[in-house]
Amino acid sequence: MTAATSAGTGVAVATATATSAVGGTAVRAMGLRKEFGRTVAVDNVDLEVPAGAVMGVLGPNGSGKTTVIRMLLGLCRPTLGSVTLLGSAMPDRAADVLPRVGALVEGPGFHPFLSGRENLLRGAAFEPLAPTRSIPSIVDDALERVGLADAARRAYRGYSLGMKQRLGLAAALLVPRDLVVLDEPTNGLDPAGTMQVRQIIGELRAAGTTVLVSSHLLAEVEATCTHVAVLQAGIVVAQGELAHLLEGDRPLLEVVTDEPAAALTALRNAGIPVRTTPGGVEVELVGTAAPAVVAALVNAGVPVSEARRRRTGLEELFAALTEEDRA
Amino acid sequence: MTAALSRMVRSELRWVFRRPRTLVALALLSALPLAIGIGIAVSGGPADSTDESLISAVAGNGLVLPIAALSAALFLLLPLTVSMSAADALAGESAHGTLRGLLLAPVGRIRLVVVKSVGVLAVAVAAVALISVVGVATGMVIVGGNGDGVLTLSGSTLSTWPALGRVAIAAAWTVVQLAAIGAIALAVSSVTEHPLVVLAVTVGGLIVTTVLLVIPALGWLHPVLLPTGWPAITDVLRDPVPWDELLTSAYRAACYLVIGISLTLARMTTRDA
Repeated sequence: MTAATSAGTGVAVATATATSAVGGTAVRAMGLRKEFGRTVAVDNVDLEVPAGAVMGVLGPNGSGKTTVIRMLLGLCRPTLGSVTLLGSAMPDRAADVLPRVGALVEGPGFHPFLSGRENLLRGAAFEPLAPTRSIPSIVDDALERVGLADAARRAYRGYSLGMKQRLGLAAALLVPRDLVVLDEPTNGLDPAGTMQVRQIIGELRAAGTTVLVSSHLLAEVEATCTHVAVLQAGIVVAQGELAHLLEGDRPLLEVVTDEPAAALTALRNAGIPVRTTPGGVEVELVGTAAPAVVAALVNAGVPVSEARRRRTGLEELFAALTEEDRA
Repeated sequence: MTAALSRMVRSELRWVFRRPRTLVALALLSALPLAIGIGIAVSGGPADSTDESLISAVAGNGLVLPIAALSAALFLLLPLTVSMSAADALAGESAHGTLRGLLLAPVGRIRLVVVKSVGVLAVAVAAVALISVVGVATGMVIVGGNGDGVLTLSGSTLSTWPALGRVAIAAAWTVVQLAAIGAIALAVSSVTEHPLVVLAVTVGGLIVTTVLLVIPALGWLHPVLLPTGWPAITDVLRDPVPWDELLTSAYRAACYLVIGISLTLARMTTRDA
């Protein structure tokens, strides 16, 4: 999908300076540590987001995602470590970098007595890259993009959680950006709203914008991201390309059957390497697709009670993290 | 690179004067001179006033009314209004999560203090201007001019234009005092994200100060307290104007202003948002 043909939301996403988004590193954080009093919220975090990537920062609640993002954006100073955003050191060169960065951090922040449109007009007045004369049209376009055109003149006070979130997104996308940072952008959104956010992220990516998005949902990251960093208790426990991390382990197909011996024979006859497990057999899906395995078994008359793909490294890791978090 | 300062200031002023509580506060403040005027009219007018108090002086001089109203509002209502504005300026923005948005735009942190100071000052100017204008109008209508002009507290008379000049002096002097209060309130506003804390500290501090002022044993402390010079506002009604105390209290306010803005800047340039 290209920016010009993004049919769904009907509004093209443009980049501020296409050149800076190609090649290089959009975000580089080294050895970030943040202490709040005696609490160490984040420790020794290294992050690298290639320009044009969609990086998902994944972690359970309280894992330090927002603190990392706040340090990246210069909202707070790291106790230790350094941040480079679009080639410039933060927070010292915030004035040069931040105009090209759009962000939604810690939920949408707006004034309740103003309408959504007035809130955005106020935000646009402070945006260096918004030309004064075109502010009204910029704001109307942004409202249109997130589907708030109809509610634009209602007081923000009366907005639903999802509408507030959309307005926050609109504010982040007011002017063309090279980097967009979205902290839990789908919080409070219904499935349609979630889809819309995914679509907007897709449009940004197609336009070459680097996106950093945090989430506590693996599915969310899987749906939108090219890269992922997993945070737990303030430490990055895994980082890399999503495809690479998801297939870090060899994928396995577990087949539950009452006749493991027959299954073994049938698969070996079909030329598929296999080994037995307590409940049946398991097959490494290398050079073989899951349907082929099941077909071979069924053709040989082996009763298959259940066939499931075992979770890969990232899924396993993240499940363990979130379960720990729940406990 | 930041947006033009003038554009940010315009946006800030629009925000300040769209806020319902600013408008309510200004409306109530402008009702104060009206209430004083009506009170005097109802109580029988000029004839029965013999004492030297400011309010009774109003009875004979319409143009004394705005100064009486400013003087009455200076000890609590005006500082309250200005503190409220300062509370919304930083602590309130922080509480709504909008301070982050401004810093991310980015508005440089020093520029942010400039923009916010202008906003608070604008409320002070608007409040004082409203009280003065409504005061003059009410004084003219209810009490009326004295024919020959305005009788000063020193017993001489001023014609209308010089008398209006005196009101303008009082108004400007009051704005300076409120700027000091606003700067201190802004400093408090920069360290908290609870607007109520700003009101409590500023107004509470003012009340404590006025209590300290009536304790003679603490006389050594009085020269550094802001409200020490506030009774001097009535000096503009004397002829000639005794400038000493008016100027001293304006200098004192300027010191508070510098301290307040410095603290705000120091805090805002390091604040985590």
